[in-house]
Amino acid sequence: MKAKSAKKLLSVALAMTMLAGVLSGCGSDGGDAKDDAKTEAPADEPADDAADKADEPADEPADDAADAPADDIAYPEKGISVICPWGAGGGTDACLRAFCEAMGKDLGVALTVDNQTGGGGILGHQAIADAEPDGYTIGMITFELATYKKLGTSELTWEDYDPLCRVNTDAATVTVNKEWADANSITDLASYIEYCKAHPGEVQMGGSSNASVWHIAGGYLMQETGIDIQMITYEEGAATAVQNAASGFIQGVTVSLAEARSFIESGHLVCLGVMDEERNESFPDVPTCKEEGYDITYFTQRGMAIPKDVDPAIKAKLEAACAKAIEDPDFVEFMKNNGQAISYLDAAGYTEFLQQSAEDVANAMDALGL
Amino acid sequence: MDFGLLLESYGAVWGSLQVILMTLLGACGGVLLGAIPGMTATMGVALLIPFSFGMDLIPSIGLLLGIYCGGMYGGSISAILIHAPGTPAAAATLLDGYPMCQKGQAGKALSVAMFSSFCGGVIGALVMTFLSPFIANMAMSFGPGEMFMLAIFGLSVIIAISGKSITKGLISAFLGMALCTVGLDPTNGIPRFITYKQTGLLDGFQFIPTLIGLFAVAEVIAGVERIISGEEKQEKSNEKIKNVLPDLATIKKIWPNILSGGLIGTFIGAIPGAGGDIAVFVSYGASKSASKHPELYGTGIPNGVAATESANNGCSGGAMIPLLSLGVPGDSVTAILLGAFIMKGITPGPMMYIAELPTVYRVFAALMLANLAMLVVGCCGVRFFAKIVSVEKKMLYPIILVISLLGAFSINKNVFDVGVCVAFGVVGWLMNKYEFPLSPILLALILGPMCEKNFVRFMNIQKGNFAAIFQSPIADVFMAVALAVIIFSVYNQRKINKREAEAAKSQE
Repeated sequence: MKAKSAKKLLSVALAMTMLAGVLSGCGSDGGDAKDDAKTEAPADEPADDAADKADEPADEPADDAADAPADDIAYPEKGISVICPWGAGGGTDACLRAFCEAMGKDLGVALTVDNQTGGGGILGHQAIADAEPDGYTIGMITFELATYKKLGTSELTWEDYDPLCRVNTDAATVTVNKEWADANSITDLASYIEYCKAHPGEVQMGGSSNASVWHIAGGYLMQETGIDIQMITYEEGAATAVQNAASGFIQGVTVSLAEARSFIESGHLVCLGVMDEERNESFPDVPTCKEEGYDITYFTQRGMAIPKDVDPAIKAKLEAACAKAIEDPDFVEFMKNNGQAISYLDAAGYTEFLQQSAEDVANAMDALGL
Repeated sequence: MDFGLLLESYGAVWGSLQVILMTLLGACGGVLLGAIPGMTATMGVALLIPFSFGMDLIPSIGLLLGIYCGGMYGGSISAILIHAPGTPAAAATLLDGYPMCQKGQAGKALSVAMFSSFCGGVIGALVMTFLSPFIANMAMSFGPGEMFMLAIFGLSVIIAISGKSITKGLISAFLGMALCTVGLDPTNGIPRFITYKQTGLLDGFQFIPTLIGLFAVAEVIAGVERIISGEEKQEKSNEKIKNVLPDLATIKKIWPNILSGGLIGTFIGAIPGAGGDIAVFVSYGASKSASKHPELYGTGIPNGVAATESANNGCSGGAMIPLLSLGVPGDSVTAILLGAFIMKGITPGPMMYIAELPTVYRVFAALMLANLAMLVVGCCGVRFFAKIVSVEKKMLYPIILVISLLGAFSINKNVFDVGVCVAFGVVGWLMNKYEFPLSPILLALILGPMCEKNFVRFMNIQKGNFAAIFQSPIADVFMAVALAVIIFSVYNQRKINKREAEAAKSQE
C-alpha cells in the first residue's frame, strides 16, 4: 500500500515537472508544446529504447511474419504526436488518451495527444491529412469526417487518409422524457412512432450540434420510419440537450446511452431503443431498435489514421501496435467505465467500413435537408 | 443532511496526507497556469487527468479541484500586474486591479484578490454542501428561454462597466456583438462573412486570442509607445508587504462585496452553460450599483477586486452542483471532472445523492480543502508575484508579448489565432487611446453567442412565438432585473458625471 501511494506521488511529481518543463519552455525559447515534446523525448529515450529493443526479437517474428520488412526499420525513434480534432476532456479526447497510453506500452515511446480543435473538427482532421508522412504524426478520425464534403465545409474525405483501425463506436438511441411518454401512453418504439405519425412535425428531439452524429441520427430515424420530427440543435453538446429533454423543454434526444445515462437511471428519461446490432452491456434492459421491429443501426465511430504515403513498414508497425493496444486490460477497463464500446476493425475492415458509412451518412443528411 | 456522515467525510479527506499533498500540488499548478494568459485551468486539468488514472478517486479529485481553484485565483495575478487577464474569469478583475497596481498597491491588490477568492470559494463550497438539491432543481428549470434572458441580464451591466461615457461603452458593446456574427452560425452551420476556405474563422474570432490581444498585446503596444516618447516611469515597488493578507480595516470595507460576489458567483456558476466569465461582470456591476461611491470604481479600489474575485471562485462551488446532482457540467473544467468521475465508475447525476452520498460529501470536503490550499499557495506567492512590477519595463514587455502570443497559439494550435491576437492588440490600443472602454466588447463576446444560440433554439421550439417567454417566471425575473439594472445604472452614471462636474467647478 505504502509503495503504491509512493508510486502515485512519484507519478504526479513527474507530471508536475513535465508541466513545469512545458511552461519554462514556453517562457524561454518560444517553442510550442510540440517542440517541447520533441526536445524532452531524447532524455527519456535511452531507457525506453533499450526496453524496446529487448522486446523486439521476442515479439516481432510472431506479429509481423507477413510484413518482413518491418524488422529492418528503426521506428519509432522518438515520441509520436497524435492529433485529436476535438477538445480536451471530450469523448474523443478521453478515448484517444487511453488508447495512446496503451499504444505507447507496445511502441516503447511516448504518444503525445495534441488537441487541434476548431471548425467542427475540420482543422484537426486537416492537420492529420497534411502531416509529414514520416509516421511521427498520427491522429484520430471521427464520424464527422463523413459529413464535411456533403456540407461543403471541406473537401476532406476518408480517402485522404490511410486508416489504421477502428477503435470505438457508440450507438444512437431514441430516448424520451418519461412524463411526456406516460402522458401520451408511449411505452415502446412502436407507440412512439405511431404518436409521431399522428402528430407530424410536433415532436422535438435534441441531438448535439448541427450535422453532428446525433443530429443526423434523427434524420436517419425519419428516413427509415417515415415519421416527421423536428430536430433541435445543441451546439454546446449532448449534455445540454439531455438536460433540456429531462426538464421537458423538448420531448427527447437521440444521443448515446452513456450521455443520457444519469437521467435514465433517475427516471427522468426512458430509452425506447438503441440503434445497434446488440444490446449495450451496461444497459441490458434497453432493447435494440431491431428487436422492436425497426431495423435501424446508427452509430458514431472513432478510429486511428495516418496521412497517405507513410512507409508501409511503419504502417505495419503502427497497425500491430493498435491491434495490441485494443486488448490492453487498462484500456478495456477504461472504456468500460467510460461507457464507450470497443469495436475493433483492422485496417482493411476499417477502410471498407469508412467507404460504406460515407454513403449512408450522405443519405441520412438528405433526409434532414443538410 | 446527515451531519455525522458529513463530519466523517471531512475527517477522511482532511486527515489524509496524500489528499492534502495532491490538493496543494494542484493549487500550485493551477495558480501558475492561471497566471499565464492563454493557459487555463481547463488545460491544466486536461493535462493532469491521465496522471490521476492510477490514483483513488478522492486524491485525484483533490488534485483537479486544486488546479481549478488555483487557476481561478491565478488569473487575477496577471490581470492585476500586467493588465492581461490570465483566464477569462479574471477579465473584470483588471478594471480595478490594474489601477491599484499603477498606484503602487500591487501587493495589496493581490492580497485582496487572494482573500476574496478564498472567501468566495468557501461561500460556494458551503452553498454546495447545504443547498445542493434545491439549487439543482433550479438549474433543471433552465431552458433556452431562461438562458436567453440570463444573457440579456448579463448584457445589462454593460453601462456599469462602461466608464465615463455610456455612448462609448455601447459602441464597444455593439462592436463586440458584431464580431460574434462572424463564422459558422451556431444553429444551422451557415457561413457568415467568411467562406469555407477560411478555416481559421469557421468558429468566429476565438475568444481567448481576442481577449489576450485586446488587453495584453494592447498594453504592450501602449507601453512601447510610452518608452519611445520617454513617458514611461519605472515603478519601484516601494510598497512594503507586511502581511500577505489584507488588514482588518480593508476587510471591513470589502466584506459586503465578497459576500454578494460569492453568492452571485455560486448562483451563476450553478447554471449549466454560464460560468465565471459572466459572473464576474454581473458581480462587478452589482457592487458598483449598490455602492455609495460608484465613481470610485475603475480608479483602483479594493472593493472592485473583491467583488470579481469572490465571484469567480464562488463559481467553482456553484458549477459543482449541477455536475454532481444532474451530471450536467457547469463549465469546461467541470466537463473534464465529469470524465474523471466516470472513469472511476461513478456517474454523477440525480442518483449520485442516493447511491453515492459518502462520495458526494467527500467531494464537498475536497473542494473546501482546495480553497484552503489555494490560500496557502497564494500567501506564499504574494511577495514574489508583487516583485514582477519592479522588473524593468524594457525587459517585461517583450516577455509579456511572447507569452501572450504563445497563449493565443496554444488554445487551438492555430497560427491564424496569433494573427487575430495581434490585430486585436492594435484595436485595443487604438480604443484605449480614444477612451473607448474594452470590457463591454469582452462581455458582448462572451454573451453574444449564448444569446443567439438560445434565442434561435427558443424560437425553434416555440415555433416562432416569442410571447411564450413570458410564461416562464425565471425569464420574467431576469427581464425585470435587467430593466432595473439599465435604469439604475443610467441614473447612477448621471449622478457620477454631475458630481465630477461639480468637483471640477469647485477646483476652479
